[in-house]
Amino acid sequence: MLKRLIERFRCLNPLLFACMAGLIVVGVAFVYSACSVREDPELRMLYMRHAEVGLAGLAGYLLLAWIDYRAVLRWSWLIYLVCLLLLVLVPFIGESTMGARRWLFGIQPSEPAKLAIIMILAWLFGRREAQRGAPGFFLTLALVGVPGVLILLQPDLGTAMVLVPTVFAMLFAANVAPRLLWTCVAVGVAAGVAIMSVIYIAEKADLPQERRDALIEATHLKPHQVKRLQVFLFPDKDLHGSGYNRRQSEIAVGSGGAWGKGYLKGEQYMLGYLPPSVSSNDFIFAVLAEESGFAGSLTVLLLFLGLLWSGLWVAFRCQNDTGRLFCVGVLSLTFSHMFINIAMTIGMMPITGLPLPFISYGRTFMLTMMAALGLVQSVSIHGRESETRF
Amino acid sequence: MALLAFVFAAGIVFLAFALHRVQVVQYSDFSRDQVRQSVRRVQVPGPRGRIFDRNGVVLAENRASYCIAYYVEELRKRGRWQNTIDAVDADIDRLAAVLGIPRVLSKEAVANHVMQSLPMPLLAWRDVDQETLARWAETEESFPGVDVFVQPERSYPQGSLAAHVLGYVGRGRPQPLPGQKSHFFLPEMIGKEGLERQYNPTLTGVSGGQLIRVDARGYKHAVWDGEPAVSGRDVHLTLDVNVQRALEKALRGWRGAGAVIDPRNGDVLALASSPTFDPNDFVPVMPAGLWKKLNADEGLPLYNRAVMGRYAPGSTFKPVTAIAALLHAGFNPDETYLCEGAFSLGTMRLRCWNTYGHGAVALRKAIEQSCNSFFCHLGYTIGYEAIYGEAQKVGLGQRTGIDLPAETAGLLPTAEWKERNLKDKWRPGDTCHISIGQGLLVTTPLQMAVLASVFANGGIRYRPHLARREGAPEIVFDMGWPPDAVGLVRNGLHDVAALGTGKRVQVRGLQVAAKTGTAEVDVGGVRRKNTWVTAFAPFDRPTVAMAIMVENGVSGGLTVAPMAHDVLVSVFGEAPEETPSETAALPAGGEERGD
Repeated sequence: MLKRLIERFRCLNPLLFACMAGLIVVGVAFVYSACSVREDPELRMLYMRHAEVGLAGLAGYLLLAWIDYRAVLRWSWLIYLVCLLLLVLVPFIGESTMGARRWLFGIQPSEPAKLAIIMILAWLFGRREAQRGAPGFFLTLALVGVPGVLILLQPDLGTAMVLVPTVFAMLFAANVAPRLLWTCVAVGVAAGVAIMSVIYIAEKADLPQERRDALIEATHLKPHQVKRLQVFLFPDKDLHGSGYNRRQSEIAVGSGGAWGKGYLKGEQYMLGYLPPSVSSNDFIFAVLAEESGFAGSLTVLLLFLGLLWSGLWVAFRCQNDTGRLFCVGVLSLTFSHMFINIAMTIGMMPITGLPLPFISYGRTFMLTMMAALGLVQSVSIHGRESETRF
Repeated sequence: MALLAFVFAAGIVFLAFALHRVQVVQYSDFSRDQVRQSVRRVQVPGPRGRIFDRNGVVLAENRASYCIAYYVEELRKRGRWQNTIDAVDADIDRLAAVLGIPRVLSKEAVANHVMQSLPMPLLAWRDVDQETLARWAETEESFPGVDVFVQPERSYPQGSLAAHVLGYVGRGRPQPLPGQKSHFFLPEMIGKEGLERQYNPTLTGVSGGQLIRVDARGYKHAVWDGEPAVSGRDVHLTLDVNVQRALEKALRGWRGAGAVIDPRNGDVLALASSPTFDPNDFVPVMPAGLWKKLNADEGLPLYNRAVMGRYAPGSTFKPVTAIAALLHAGFNPDETYLCEGAFSLGTMRLRCWNTYGHGAVALRKAIEQSCNSFFCHLGYTIGYEAIYGEAQKVGLGQRTGIDLPAETAGLLPTAEWKERNLKDKWRPGDTCHISIGQGLLVTTPLQMAVLASVFANGGIRYRPHLARREGAPEIVFDMGWPPDAVGLVRNGLHDVAALGTGKRVQVRGLQVAAKTGTAEVDVGGVRRKNTWVTAFAPFDRPTVAMAIMVENGVSGGLTVAPMAHDVLVSVFGEAPEETPSETAALPAGGEERGD
C-alpha cells in the first residue's frame, strides 16, 4: 500500500506542485499585508483563513492526485448537475453582497461550476465515439450556456467571461467543428467591438441625453458594467467615482517601481486609497506590485508561467484525450483568470472582479483551483500509466 | 497544444512588458501622483523676533502657550462625517465638565475643522492655565485623542509699558512660501499695531514646512519634518524703559501724552500715551468684550495721543515766533513792548494771562514771562510768512517720519488752506493767534518734542526713530540759525525754568530749559485747557528733549512741569537737597498759576 502510494507520487509533476505552492505562499503573505490594516479583528485574520484553505485544499489536492482522474470524471455529469442545482438556488436563497447575489451556504457555486463545465466537456469529448460535428458544438453551447446564463444573472460578468476562452480552448483542442468555432470567435470579437463602439459613440458624440441613454440601453448591459467599460475607454473621466479603483490600483502598481516599497510598506492600501474591501481579493496584485515592485510582479508571472507550462507538459505526456482536454481546460481557466486580473489591475482591461488564482483571498475559488490542479496531477500520474497499460 | 503554450507565453510576456512600462518607465509619474494625493504640506511659521529696549530689556517675546487639542483621527467614526463630528463634539462637552471650564468651541467650528483641516490639531482651549493643565494631567487617560499642544504666543513682560509703541499682534495666515503649495498652515502672529506692525517683515521669520501623509479619508497618518522654519530677527529700540516708566507713571490718571528724544540723533527715549492698555490681554485672542470696552472708553486707551493726538501747542510754540522775529530783518531783540494785560487789534482783544500786564518787556523777558501781548504784537509786526517759514522748517504740519505705522501731520495753516476749508480769508487775528500757539495751529506731542530738540541742539532736525539704527543719524533739515539768535531764545527758555513759569521742571544739580503752555480749547462747547511743557537738559550740551501734554490740566506750569521734572530725574538723577531752608525760601507766588 505504502509502496504504491510512493510510486504514484513519484509521478507527480514537481514543478507544477512547486509553482502552485509558491503562489499560495505569496498569496498568504500578501493577504496578510492587505488585511493587516483592517480594524475588525476577524478581517485582520483573513490571511489565516487563506492559509487554512490552502492546507485543506492541499489535502484534497493530494487525494485527487492519488485517485485516477477518470474515476472522477466519470461522475462529472453528477457534479455538473449538483452545481447547476446550486446555481438555480442562488437567486432564491442566496446571500446578497454589493448588489450581486453570488453566495450560497458560504460558498460561491459559480466557482465549482466552472470546474464542473471543464470536467463534463473533457468527459464528453474525451470519448472516442464523441460527436465532433455541429451537434457536438451545440451540445456544448447548451451545457455551458445554462450555467453561464445563471452566472451572468447573478450578475457576475467576470466569471462568465473567463468561461468563454476556456471553453473555446477546449473545443479547439478537441477539434470540434473548427469552422463553426472560428465563426463564433469572429462574431464574438465583432460583438465586443460593437458594444465598445456604441459606448464610445454614446460618450463622445454630441447627442442629446435621451438618445445617448437609448444607445447604451441597446447594449443590454447592466449600468455598472457599462460604467466599467466607460472607465476602460475613458480612464480619466471619473477618477473619484467609478474610475477610482482602477486609478488607485494603477498608482499602487506604478509607485512600486522596480524593487517595491518593502513588505508591509504599501501606502496605497495602508492609507485606504485602494479600498480595503478589494485589496485582499480582486486587487491583491496591486498590493503585491506596490510592495515588491517589478521584481515581485515578474516573480509571480514566472511562477504562473512555470505552472502553465508544466501543466501543458502533463497534457502533452498524457495519452488519453479526456485527460488532455481536462488539462487544457484547467490551464486555460487559470491563464484567463491571471491575465484578466493583472491586466485589469494596470488598467488594460475593464474591471470585472475576477480573483487572481492562489493569491487572491477567496475560499471557494481557492478550493476549486486546487481541486482542479489536483486532478491535473492525477492526469500526470495516471495518464502516463495508461500509456504503459494499453 | 503548442499553440496554447505559445498563447500562454505570449500573454505572460505581454503582461511583463505592460508591468515594466507601468512600474519602471512610468514609475516617477505614478510616484508623484501618489505623493500628490496623500501628502499635505503644513506651513509652520518661524518664531517671531523679540523687541528689546536700548539696555537689552525685553519688551516683547514669545512664551509657550498650552492648548488642549483634539486629534480627530483618534476619535474617528465610521460612516458619515457627521458621526465623527458628533463624537468630537460630545467629547469636548465631556472634557469641559471634567476640567470645569466652559467650552469655547461651537459645534460649527468642530464641523468646519473636520471638513477642512482634518489632519491638523483642533484647539479646543487655547492658552489654558496651570491649574487646568494639572487637572487635565489627572484625567488624561480617559480622553484618547486629546493632547496638549504647545504653540508660541506673544508676551509683553513689561505689561502695559510702551503699549502704544509696541502695538500688538493678531493671528493670520502666514505669507505663502514662493513656489510651494501648502494645504494647511499654523496661524502666524501678525503685527496689527505699533512697532509690531511697522517691523512685521523683520520680526516675521521664514515659514518652514511639515509634511503630513493622509489616508483616503483625509486623516493624518504620519508626519515628518520638511524644511525648518527660520526665526524672525529681533528689533532693538532706542527706548529706555526707565524713562518710559517715569513718563508713564507721571501721566497715570491723566489723559495725555509725551515724547522724550535725544536731541543729538533723534533717538526716541520714551513715547507714551495715557490712558493705556495691556497688550497681553489680547493674547491668545482679543476677547470680544474687551475690544468693545476699549473702544467705548471715553479716554480712548487704544489711541496713541503722542503721534495721533491733535492739540494746539499754546505757549510752547512761542520760541518759533521768537526765532522767526530774530531772523526777520529790522527786529531789535532789546526793543521793549508795553504789556497792559491785553493786546488789541481793531475790535479784537487778546488777553494776556497776567491781567495786570507785564509792563515793558523785551524778547528774553517776554519768553520767560510768556507774555501773550508781546508775542501777538511780535507776530503782527513780522507777519505770518516769517512765522510760517520757521514753523514749517521745524516740522510742524508734517509727519515727523517716526517708525510707527500711523502718525498725523497736525496742521500748520496757510491762507489758501483757510480759504479752501473755512471759506474765509486770512486775517491779522489769525497771525496773532498762531504767534501764541493757538487758533488753527494743531500739533502732536511728538512734533513738539522734535521742536524742543531742535532748539536744544541749536537748529538741526533729526528724524525721530524708535528702532536702533546703524551709522550717522538722519538729518531731515538743517535750520541754519545764527548761533546768537538761537542762543537768545535758548537763554529765554533757560529763564523759564530758572525763574518763570517752568520752575517746577527744575532738577537740583541740573541746568534745565523749558517752556510751559496752556492752550484753551473748545471741546463740544466746554472750555478745556490743554496743558504743555517742552524742556531740554542739560542746558549746555542737551542730551534729552521732551514734550508732555495733558488734556484738561490746570496749567502747564502746575500740572505738567512736575511730570517733566520726574522724567528728567529718571535720566539724570537728582542731587540731594542741600539745605532744607533753601527750598522753603522758594517763593510760591501767584505768577506760577499761569503762563
